[in-house]
Amino acid sequence: MTTEEYDTEMDYSDSDCGDPGYEDYYNVHPWDGEGDNDIDNDQSRRDPEYAVYDCLRIEEVERLLNEDVESLSNSLHITPSLAKVLLHAHNWALQDIIAKYRTNASSLFINSKIKPLPPLDSLSGLKSQRSGLCSVCVAIQSAEKFSTLTCGHSFCKDCWCMHFEVQISQGISTGISCMAQDCNVLAPEDFVLSLLTKPNMRERYQQFAFCDYVKSHPQLRFCPGPNCQMIMRSKEQRAKRVMCSSCKTCDLIRNCNNFSFRCGIDYHAPTDCNTMKKWLTKCADDSETANYISAHTKDCPKCHICIEKNGGCNHMQCYNCKYDFCWMCLGDWKAHGSEYYVCSRYKENPNIAHESVLAQAREALKKYLHYYERWENHSKSLKLEEQTLEAIKMQINKKVMNYSGTWIDWQHLFAAASLLTRCRYTLQYTYPYAYYMEPGPRKELFEYQQAQLEAEIEDLSWKIEHAETTNRGDLENQMDIAEKRRVTLLKDFLEV
Amino acid sequence: MANIAALRIQREFKEVIRSEEVAKCAIKVELVNDSFTELKGEIAGPPDTPYEGGNFVLEIKVPETYPFNPPKVRFITKIWHPNISSVTGAICLDILKDQWAAAMTLRTVLLSLQALLSAAEPDDPQDAVVARQYKEHPEMFRQTAKHWTYVYAGGPAKMPDLDDKIRRLTDMGIEEHNARVALSSYNWDLERATEQLFS
Repeated sequence: MTTEEYDTEMDYSDSDCGDPGYEDYYNVHPWDGEGDNDIDNDQSRRDPEYAVYDCLRIEEVERLLNEDVESLSNSLHITPSLAKVLLHAHNWALQDIIAKYRTNASSLFINSKIKPLPPLDSLSGLKSQRSGLCSVCVAIQSAEKFSTLTCGHSFCKDCWCMHFEVQISQGISTGISCMAQDCNVLAPEDFVLSLLTKPNMRERYQQFAFCDYVKSHPQLRFCPGPNCQMIMRSKEQRAKRVMCSSCKTCDLIRNCNNFSFRCGIDYHAPTDCNTMKKWLTKCADDSETANYISAHTKDCPKCHICIEKNGGCNHMQCYNCKYDFCWMCLGDWKAHGSEYYVCSRYKENPNIAHESVLAQAREALKKYLHYYERWENHSKSLKLEEQTLEAIKMQINKKVMNYSGTWIDWQHLFAAASLLTRCRYTLQYTYPYAYYMEPGPRKELFEYQQAQLEAEIEDLSWKIEHAETTNRGDLENQMDIAEKRRVTLLKDFLEV
Repeated sequence: MANIAALRIQREFKEVIRSEEVAKCAIKVELVNDSFTELKGEIAGPPDTPYEGGNFVLEIKVPETYPFNPPKVRFITKIWHPNISSVTGAICLDILKDQWAAAMTLRTVLLSLQALLSAAEPDDPQDAVVARQYKEHPEMFRQTAKHWTYVYAGGPAKMPDLDDKIRRLTDMGIEEHNARVALSSYNWDLERATEQLFS
């Protein structure tokens, strides 16, 4: 109960002051001591986990995106909603779009699905407008009831509205296209909003579109904390630690080469995103849901969203990123003309060496349990540290009341506890890393360092628990040793 | 919403009946119930294909959100085709999935399916076994598809040697359709089909 109260109190103070840098200074975050953004160069050299980032509210992000939209619409003399389509299609690379516009404006508009492919395909829509017949609802309407996109396909406003509602209810917003056959022209925001009447639908459309914009923006990502509305911004290209100032969820941003891939699970250095995902699925393997997920779904090889195959052929198209791939081998579908049959043949071989499989499975389980027990143990210890923190608070109060030192004299215990949490956290995440490591000298080195770290952490933990009998110098010395071990391990193995 | 769906189907129903394809007996639509949510389609196997002379029945389910979502279509008549499941009749065709547009009609769907029968897309298969045969043993595929058309869709070409092989298996107590599937899947190799059925 007390921890909860403590948290809500913090949230309250967060919403009070706007500047995250300011509040960092006063709030005691478990491990955010070095959160100052000014001295980044020096910091990143010293601390391999350090990253420059901002924690933004939805309104701040909206303002940020709108600045880009405005500057593009001003420089190309187009409407803001067309600018949004362009920016979304090009991952918000403003300069890139302007350069493309200068070299070939019409091909830019065609590739971004703003204008139709030339020549204008069948004029059936235009014809139907003249005769007053909407080809979707097959009702005769007066001319002013019709609307059309740049492609010239004309349909009645009620049908457009219904089309938008159906698409929005399927979670589609920025991807809504024209209703005509073989026409892929996208409906820009102003067109959709001018025809959408229901207020809740308009709201959902705007929410979905905002989500799409954030997801397509390489520098932004939503905080993965439950019900948290914050959005992180970082120019960091590698896996780094960021922390949401609102809900304190630790998070990881990682951008790989061209496409942006952010895993969004709890921070997990030194283990990398893919390994971590494997590990978490493995740990959850006992549950029926996990069994179902592994049996019926696969991750999109491009954007890593979870996809369920509920029928149909092996040619999959990701709902999220529209990537075409093969369900069997997860390879690009384009290269699948002749290679398809290699994928389907794979299924035929699984019962080779059936005998030793059992023994192998047992051995594998033993290995897994070894790492899992340690992982789980540290995870539990971490939860216990929260109680320790409370206990320290009480202890300090008691000491101050008994006139054994002033309040300020005992604050170093907080620093020690927060450092302990940080070290334990890293230690916890070294186990998945070790589990997936190939045996060899590098693994031996890793496990040596891991053992060293563990020993220092246990020592530190003991000294904090017996703070009365340990003198401050001893404790701070131990803190320094533990943190050095931790940073050394990260520096050597954080492959980012 | 249901209102538009019913209105559209009624209208399209008339369109199909009046269309010139009906005069040529190429496509046909029938109502299954009064609410226009379920229909029965029929397409004739296109000329110069193994499906020529056959008549293929389709199940068409119209969703409430039609025409903003595509109708759900599958083959009731068993058919040997790379893009149609030989087991369930499920169809792999882009316009029935993400390439659907509200301006499309039942007529365009039926005509597209007919076009699919004349031009299979083995690189985008629904039935991997059929697709493999289509690519690796085209003549064997033609024979098999023709045979299936004869047996299930009332096609003209009887194939005594294939029937013979099936009879050899049914004599062993195998159900006729299972025997046909096994033989078709193993390029009418009697030995391998038997092996598969009894393994």
